[in-house]
Amino acid sequence: MNLTPTMIKTQAITKIVTTSEGELQILQPISFDVKAAESVAIVGASGSGKSTLLGLLAGLDEVSSGEIYVDGQPLHKLDEEQRARLRGEKVGFIFQSFMLVQSLTALENIMLPAEINGLKDARKRALEALEQVGLGHRGNHYPNQLSGGEQQRVAIARAFITRPKILFADEPTGNLDAANGEKIENLLFRFNRELGTTLILVTHDSELASRCQRQLQMHAGSLTETSQPTEQPEAKRHVG
Amino acid sequence: MWADSASLRLSWRLFRHEARRGELTVILLAIVLSVAAVLSLSLFSERLQTALTDKTAEFLAADRLLGSDQPVPEQWLEQAKALGLDVAKRVQLRSMVFAGEQMMLADVRAVDGHYPLKGKVKVAEVPFGPARETDALPGLGEVWMESRLFQVLGASLGGQLEVGDASFTISGIISELPDGGFSVFGGDPKVLLNLQDLDKTHVTGPGSRTDYDILFAGPDGVLEDYHQWLEPRLDRELHYWRSVKDDDSPLGRSVQRAEQYFLLASLLAIVLASVSIAVAAQRYSHRHYDPVAIMKTLGAPASLVRRIYLLQILFITGLGILVGALVGYGVQQVIASLIAERVPVALDAWHWRPFLIAVFTGLVCALLFSLYPLMKLFSVPPLRVLRRDLGAGISSRIIQFLAAGVAIFLLMWAYSGNLKISAILLGTGLVLVLALLLVTFGLIALGRRLGQGRMGAWQLAWARIQRRAMDNSVQLISFAITIMLLLVVLVMRNDMVQQWRDQLPQGTPNYFMINITEQQLPELERHFGQAGVQMDTFYPVIRGRFAAINEETIRTDVSKEEDSNNRGRQGLGREANLTWSDRLQTENRVVAGSWHGDSQGEIPRVSVETEVAQRLDIKLGDLLTFNVGSEVVQAEVTSLREVNWQTMQPNFFFVLEPAAMQGFSPTYITSFHLPGQDKAKLAGLMAPFPTVTLFDVDARINQLRSVIEQVSLAVEFILVLVLCAGSLVLVAQVQSSMDERLQELAILRTLGARGWLIRASVIFEFLIIGLVAGAMAALANELALYLLQTRVFDMQARLHWDFWLLAPLVGALVVGLLGALSCWRLLSFNTSQLLRRML
Repeated sequence: MNLTPTMIKTQAITKIVTTSEGELQILQPISFDVKAAESVAIVGASGSGKSTLLGLLAGLDEVSSGEIYVDGQPLHKLDEEQRARLRGEKVGFIFQSFMLVQSLTALENIMLPAEINGLKDARKRALEALEQVGLGHRGNHYPNQLSGGEQQRVAIARAFITRPKILFADEPTGNLDAANGEKIENLLFRFNRELGTTLILVTHDSELASRCQRQLQMHAGSLTETSQPTEQPEAKRHVG
Repeated sequence: MWADSASLRLSWRLFRHEARRGELTVILLAIVLSVAAVLSLSLFSERLQTALTDKTAEFLAADRLLGSDQPVPEQWLEQAKALGLDVAKRVQLRSMVFAGEQMMLADVRAVDGHYPLKGKVKVAEVPFGPARETDALPGLGEVWMESRLFQVLGASLGGQLEVGDASFTISGIISELPDGGFSVFGGDPKVLLNLQDLDKTHVTGPGSRTDYDILFAGPDGVLEDYHQWLEPRLDRELHYWRSVKDDDSPLGRSVQRAEQYFLLASLLAIVLASVSIAVAAQRYSHRHYDPVAIMKTLGAPASLVRRIYLLQILFITGLGILVGALVGYGVQQVIASLIAERVPVALDAWHWRPFLIAVFTGLVCALLFSLYPLMKLFSVPPLRVLRRDLGAGISSRIIQFLAAGVAIFLLMWAYSGNLKISAILLGTGLVLVLALLLVTFGLIALGRRLGQGRMGAWQLAWARIQRRAMDNSVQLISFAITIMLLLVVLVMRNDMVQQWRDQLPQGTPNYFMINITEQQLPELERHFGQAGVQMDTFYPVIRGRFAAINEETIRTDVSKEEDSNNRGRQGLGREANLTWSDRLQTENRVVAGSWHGDSQGEIPRVSVETEVAQRLDIKLGDLLTFNVGSEVVQAEVTSLREVNWQTMQPNFFFVLEPAAMQGFSPTYITSFHLPGQDKAKLAGLMAPFPTVTLFDVDARINQLRSVIEQVSLAVEFILVLVLCAGSLVLVAQVQSSMDERLQELAILRTLGARGWLIRASVIFEFLIIGLVAGAMAALANELALYLLQTRVFDMQARLHWDFWLLAPLVGALVVGLLGALSCWRLLSFNTSQLLRRML
């Protein structure tokens, strides 16, 4: 019997939006669980509902029906303020377009979530995180002075500064070349392993998906599990 | 605490970085502009008004005047002195004065040693001679008198003049008293004597009509304090309080009009500033959608986001106000020192009010106009981090327009305290907005037809206008309102200065003659003609007592105020100057009934001036009775005339038809212009006609002209200031709209569109917008001007056809040029820089 606690639990969640042509069901009822420290890839074609699912799991959006529990808390019952607090305390994010605040330096971007959550040692943590992603010398640079790979490393440092229990990554390597993409992947999985963070990532990239313990396939708003939980693979040493 | 350390730290950090990276430039510039424009305008106009009020105060010989039928208690004067005010006494009455066998009714003024508190007494060496200023006053036992008295009484310097029971030595010739009045028929000739001599004349006994005036001068605030102290002690039947603002003379009116113009210009500057802040705040808000979504995603509660951005706006506003105040002060200081030579502006005078107004305006504008964009910003959902197309959660143009309209109106009203001007500007603005919305949709429909065909610059321009209909309508409205406001200020200035100059054209009569008998008339004309002096029209005049309206006897005992020097009241009540003519005088306009012309009816007809008609409740069809000597003349009111009292020509309350006055032997009034250098000729000219009385209004006209020139100059500087403010607003608008175009330019560029195509399409787009905005502005301008001129400025409204053509052309040119320049800047970036700027 597996004693690892459940980090995310969904029960028959759906998402329906109203369009000019009537109601449109983007997500069919979806149920699945994610264990703590597990890495899960959500894969699927564009428009299959991957990002919508990610938004719901992360508490950025509300379900139309069904239940979501994050670390035991009923996300579907929380209002926006409560969800914001939960995100601040338990969740980290990485986006395809980095989503750094352009008018803040790399260091300040990393400090942002720590400051928002009232952590006292924000600066010290941010400096450490910056070192860990290998950008110790670029803390005072603005995002537009950094390359795409560097920006995403800043984003990773920002995501981990509050030691979140769950990390959501939306196409984290989608805007990067292969070499930079690999560096980012390695960093992601390293933190996932070292900090015991639950990793949920949305990707087109089957190789990236294959490095996760589980792969969930989205198709036209429905979810199918394509691989059973396995041991987390070692970091790839080479990418062709 | 409202602003906790986290929000303060984050907000300050964002502010610092963004300011350094130039991302706050536009909104900062807008606030700087609003504060600088309002400050420089109001500071400058305050200083100018102080200068002009000082000038007009000279015509009252004081800042304030307390008039009374009886001597006022000494305690009142002591109180004024205790407050630090300057005080002077003047006693004024009408009395017969005698020199030998000759006598004449004179305006006798007894003054103490402090008179005049403002302005100077001017004297001449010989009657009608050149004037010079003096600080002296008649000594004990002496009188000074006006040239006219010398002429009529045949008196000379050193001779004796009897006033009441006392006899005085004539020791001076008055050329001009500062408080002499502006009326062409400036009342009776004046005699000035020492107040201490008044008692021995015994002319102020019971039954005499004596004014005991107290003159005050000092700082405005102290005068107001004193007036507040005094007011409960005043008896309405006996006392009245006057300030220069109550001055109803042509000069007073000109100054009042100029003040209203400054007010209008400042209001427009506020509106312009508000528009530019609204535009800039919109842009600011839009640029922060992402950071807000990121912060919310990272767990920032809504309250933290709100605090961060409200603090940020406060920082920006604070900096904007500081810089704006410095710039505004500098600008007006430069202007004031530039014109200091021509207008006596006190450079060192310090006025707090404009600073307070400017800071208040900056604060209110910045907060009110960023409120809606901020509300939009706060409503940005965190999901935007995943779905970039998600914008703000709220969006209502109607709320935006409504809020902006109400805010602008309240600002104007609060600032001006003038509901009428505020309502006119707002009303015209609303009409303009509605018209523009209609035009926009019309344009879009037109654009569908014009924009078809191969994709050239023209088609791209139309396609953009059409696609961004709502955005464009907002832009069109803001361009049109800016252009309209500039037009209002420009045209208003032109009309006002023109009317002032028309009032006193070169060759304006500076001498008037009355008491010309019918027998003297041909000889006088010939004599002056030979000397090369051109006489104006001769008006027959007869003194008549206004006795009854429709058989109802009217009170002929006029009140004190009505008997003052004011032009409108002169001669009414006891006696009026009646004239007759079949021709309507220039600058007279029939507003009711019809002009009697020369046709004869059964009952003689009379035309009455509107203000008198209003005061005495005279209506068309009323039968007026005048006693002329022992005869009774009755006439039916068949027309009411509006008279432009600001022209320097004889004007009459009652003009009868000639037939009514047959059989009476009138005297004649005329006027003529004599250049300054020919002044010496006067004595010779008048010598053969000792009974004809001459009025010298040359000095008055020169005074009036110099003030009008100064005011015109000031108005022109104000115009330049507002034009600068308006141009900057246009630049801000074009720049902010350029941001919105960035994405499209980047895509076109990426797709390989040539620079000239993009450039031409943007220029076409702005040309079209400028053209339409200019045309609509010209229309709205006419409406605003019509209302302002007829309802506020008391001017004749007219159409301004030249601007109907000029406004669209200049609008297209300026807006097109600004668009081209901004576009140039964007196209100087390469495609990847463009794409990067979009992030």
